[in-house]
Amino acid sequence: MPPKQVQLTVQNISKSFAGKGGDVNVLDDLSFTINERDFVSIIGPSGCGKTTIFNIIAGLLEPDGGTITYRGKEIESLRGRVGYMMQKDLLFPWRTVMGNVLLGLETRGVDQKEAEEKAREYLKQFGLAGFENAYPKTLSGGMRQRVALIRTLIMDPDILLLDEPFSALDYQTRLYLEGVLKDAVQTYNKTVILVTHDIDEAVALSKRVVVLSGRPARVKVVHEIDIEATSPITARNDVKFSTYFKTLCAELDIQTETTS
Amino acid sequence: MSLVMSGTSARKKTAPRNSRKKRSTFDTTLGRAVLQLLAVAVFFALWEAGVHAGYISAFLMGSPSGIFATFYKLILSGELLSDSWYTLFEAILGFIIGTIFGSLFGLALWYSVFVAKLVEPFIVAINSVPKIALAPIVVLWFGTGLISKVALAVSLTALVALIAAYQAAKDADVDLQSLMISMGADKHQVFWKAVVPSTLPSIIATFRINIGFGLVGAVVGEFISSQRGLGHMIFLASSLYDLNSVWVGLFTLMILGFVLYYVIDIIERTSLPWKQATTSHQVQV
Repeated sequence: MPPKQVQLTVQNISKSFAGKGGDVNVLDDLSFTINERDFVSIIGPSGCGKTTIFNIIAGLLEPDGGTITYRGKEIESLRGRVGYMMQKDLLFPWRTVMGNVLLGLETRGVDQKEAEEKAREYLKQFGLAGFENAYPKTLSGGMRQRVALIRTLIMDPDILLLDEPFSALDYQTRLYLEGVLKDAVQTYNKTVILVTHDIDEAVALSKRVVVLSGRPARVKVVHEIDIEATSPITARNDVKFSTYFKTLCAELDIQTETTS
Repeated sequence: MSLVMSGTSARKKTAPRNSRKKRSTFDTTLGRAVLQLLAVAVFFALWEAGVHAGYISAFLMGSPSGIFATFYKLILSGELLSDSWYTLFEAILGFIIGTIFGSLFGLALWYSVFVAKLVEPFIVAINSVPKIALAPIVVLWFGTGLISKVALAVSLTALVALIAAYQAAKDADVDLQSLMISMGADKHQVFWKAVVPSTLPSIIATFRINIGFGLVGAVVGEFISSQRGLGHMIFLASSLYDLNSVWVGLFTLMILGFVLYYVIDIIERTSLPWKQATTSHQVQV
């Protein structure tokens, strides 16, 4: 295996929001690194500021302090170079599937014909051929989230920021989409940062899991997940899976065994 | 209570229902139309009978037979048609200009929260003036011709459109805008691709109200001073105690408003195809 190269470094990021009872410190001195072609899950107690981290990386929020370094260069944010996917599919209801997929390329000013051709390829690959002219309203939750994934991937982003992208879906659809995601990440050589509250999902998908402490968020521990599996479903059958699962649960102070 | 999701067309109401209530045999498009026409016929028949029996004064109230005779006469002379066209033209012109300017200004306020907050009290203040009260000075400023009526219709419609557009732009989904920003979109792209499309349903919803206001502006303008139009016709006839002509004018206005409402309805349905899938849900209690 080639030595791991650092792609993104987040260093000493802090951010507080003005609340009713004074400032609320959401992030305080948070640091972590993401390697090239990494698949990192960030888990932590709810409300610990996971989404805030994403918003800062994506350039939707400005941090109060700290630096972001990308491939050795200090940058303000990765605005325009990230693929952001959220729990809500955020498809534009007035755009067809095709229109939604093209959104990012339009923004970039890519030639219409070229963009459409590319979109058709992606739609075909993700089993959505024939749905080009359908409106999001008429699609199932899983299909909509697949459209959102295509919209993200077609931009060829440097890093995918996935903010609980599957948590609104039923379990079967989620398993299926986890597989689709893992395949796509492999095919297109993407780096992924996944925020999730689903420990099971984090272990099944990631190469590394970052555990955050409660507010203000700090990195509690980073776990390397050493499971060689082709799909998230086979990963769940791996002998090491339950060990990782239990360790992470313990770190999040979730009780896995009833105490007498 | 039973929930019934009907198909794409609200008219095809043959969806299965488990309700214990039996559907009336008249509950079809044709059946309802028959009942509605019957109600109109009964209304006119009672009116006519009342006039003949001497309970209703034909002088103060007019009579259906007189109204129909006047209607026929005014159609033949071409007066009714030309007056109708004139009023319709004023109303539609006022509606279009008012809606376009109002919507554009309202949308533009999205660009600057500072400017929006600055002008908000002024908009509220202007909106709280009954616009009809402006009619005399509008005639004073713009004369007794077409322009004053259009101006009055604009003053009535523009603020409705402005407030609706501004509110809708303010309420546009922030997550969709954030998504576009994360993609590297600039403010104009966010405005045109995320904000404007999401305000269209609200803006189009104002068409229904505003087409009525357009007619109000045109007619009130004609009341005050004009040589043509349905408002002029009604005003002149009532000052001559020609009640039958007044009714002809009023019923013609009713028909115009009715037709315009359905034209707007068609525009609304064809311009927002993506909305169709969402508006077919019906709750039956």
